[in-house]
Amino acid sequence: MKSLIITTTHSGKINPNLLPLVDAATKISDYCDVLIFGSDLATASIEAATISKINTVFTIEAAELKNPLAENIATQLAEIAKGYSHVLCAADSTGKNLMPRIAGILEIGQISEIVKVVSPNIFKKFIYAGNVLVEVESLEDIKLLTVRTSNFNSKHEPANQNAKIVPIAYKNPIHPHIKWQSENIVDKSVDLSSAKIVVSGGRSLGSKEEFDKHVRGLALKLNAAVGATRAAVEAGYAPNDCQVGQTGKVVAPQVYLAIGVSGAVQHIAGMKDSKIVIAINTDQTAPIFEHADYGIVADLFDIVPELTEKL
Amino acid sequence: MVCAKRVVDANIKVRVKPDNSDVDIEHSKMSLNPFDENAIEEAVRLKEAGLANEIFAVSIGSEKCSDTLRTSLARGCDRAILVTSEQTRLEPIHIAKILKQIVLKERPDLILLGKQAIDDDANQVGQMLAAMLDYPQATFISKLELDGNKIIASRELDNGVENLEITLPAVVTADLHLNDPRFVKLPQLMMAKKKPIEQIALTELGISIKPSTRLIKALDGEIKKNCVMLDDYTQILKILNEVA
Ligand SMILES: Cc1cc2nc3c(=O)[nH]c(=O)nc-3n(C[C@H](O)[C@H](O)[C@H](O)COP(=O)(O)OP(=O)(O)OC[C@H]3O[C@@H](n4cnc5c(N)ncnc54)[C@H](O)[C@@H]3O)c2cc1C
Ligand SMILES: Nc1ncnc2c1ncn2[C@@H]1O[C@H](COP(=O)(O)O)[C@@H](O)[C@H]1O
Repeated sequence: MKSLIITTTHSGKINPNLLPLVDAATKISDYCDVLIFGSDLATASIEAATISKINTVFTIEAAELKNPLAENIATQLAEIAKGYSHVLCAADSTGKNLMPRIAGILEIGQISEIVKVVSPNIFKKFIYAGNVLVEVESLEDIKLLTVRTSNFNSKHEPANQNAKIVPIAYKNPIHPHIKWQSENIVDKSVDLSSAKIVVSGGRSLGSKEEFDKHVRGLALKLNAAVGATRAAVEAGYAPNDCQVGQTGKVVAPQVYLAIGVSGAVQHIAGMKDSKIVIAINTDQTAPIFEHADYGIVADLFDIVPELTEKL
Repeated sequence: MVCAKRVVDANIKVRVKPDNSDVDIEHSKMSLNPFDENAIEEAVRLKEAGLANEIFAVSIGSEKCSDTLRTSLARGCDRAILVTSEQTRLEPIHIAKILKQIVLKERPDLILLGKQAIDDDANQVGQMLAAMLDYPQATFISKLELDGNKIIASRELDNGVENLEITLPAVVTADLHLNDPRFVKLPQLMMAKKKPIEQIALTELGISIKPSTRLIKALDGEIKKNCVMLDDYTQILKILNEVA
């Protein structure tokens, strides 16, 4: 058994996803390689080589890979995947776009967003917006997996001896029918997926001004990331990438503070692995309280300003 | 071409069978997958803007998927194709293989799917289909503009959006933020009854469907906590101060 982790870089460094991916891969087999692709890999590959339990760090470096379009790398990765029993990617926007394309090229199935490795062939994952947890056995010779990284350990264990770094020539044909144009990256001081504290707000904030004042204000004070329900995002109080839930991000911070959030299943799906959940809601029957450790039945407009001031 | 999956309604809390062998959905209310509503809405808007000639919907599953296709027709599709299969565990790779056969037969310029089905939450079919056809893929899109044989699509990333220019034929998968699907009115439902649904048996397509995974057990995924109700926020201050 041999596992391969496919990853990209993050601002020139290793992607924070790499550590939990190594944890997942080494729960599957003793042999684990890492493949990093992108346009500037020098720093990241050296850093990756210092992580314990990695055999080889492969790099595919090319200017064309500055933006990780699946069309321009999947064919080559599918070829490389044939040498492994398991191939893992993070279930982030790059991995979700790429892994099923590799699966389509190989014409084999893929398992999405595993949260636990039961055995090398058996994995746990959620379906139906987290209402159901299933144990599935992969029947494929090459097991293609995306990993919900918040469910794995992201501790950096230094290697006794650094892994080899081996460059691979970029051979994937450039897809003639897709061109990357531009991006609007939201600069966020605290990353939602890896924050220790997440402060989330819902529809009840009523406007972007109030959302910024109360939710962002409290988050700023706590050096926390800002989350939002879909209702808050649709209403324009917060950008799309703040959405927590079945269709947004999955977070598992030490503290999740839900402010004026009803607790719909689709929202719970994205935050239920948080260690401590604190809910503030005027309605004592709101479902969020069934998923919270601490609850306060109160008007957010009274309590949040006081809380922010006292911190 | 738009894809329309019949799934358990988003408002239903799905439970597992007492023997944990599978989910218990036999008597659940079923609906069109919400993301597919967005995909259909976008196609209908392109047609209304004079940028598309025809829209056909495809659903794969039991005969009951004809309900889902009627809904799709009421939403503005012109015709529908139902691929019937009695196999209950069709997986994304199988769906993609089936859709590929339909694409080869119908040759649509633009294929719209939902980014994920709310039952399996797989988020795979669009990308697999694009790979099998070697088409470009614009996944998780929140904006689409069509200009001749090119589209400009905005794709949702973890930390923002990226804009892609894609030449047709192409696959796109819709995020819920793409648009606000309209309400369907009675006259449209009536009209939908007159639109054609073509039935094809999976066996006629000549593809092999071999299971990729085996379901071992299904467990209740909902974890309820014992919430301690507090009268004031002193304890919360303490927790927050400690962690921060
Ligand atoms: C396919 C699909 C996918 C979805 N994906 C997601 C997802 O990823 N993430 C997500 O969040 N949602 C998702 N949803 C939507 C979800 O079902 C809910 O509609 C949404 O989460 C509700 O948001 P909310 O809690 O802000 O609003 P509401 O449900 O309207 O709740 C507002 C809450 O605020 C409380 N409140 C009101 N005023 C005050 C006050 N002054 N002080 C304190 N509390 C107050 C109310 O008691 C209520 O509980 C999805 C839905 C579908 C169909
Ligand atoms: N049985 C099906 N019939 C028609 N379309 C489907 C079917 N299964 C999946 N799809 C399409 O593929 C999308 C993604 O599904 P999935 O990859 O299973 O999450 C859905 O939103 C549908 O557009």
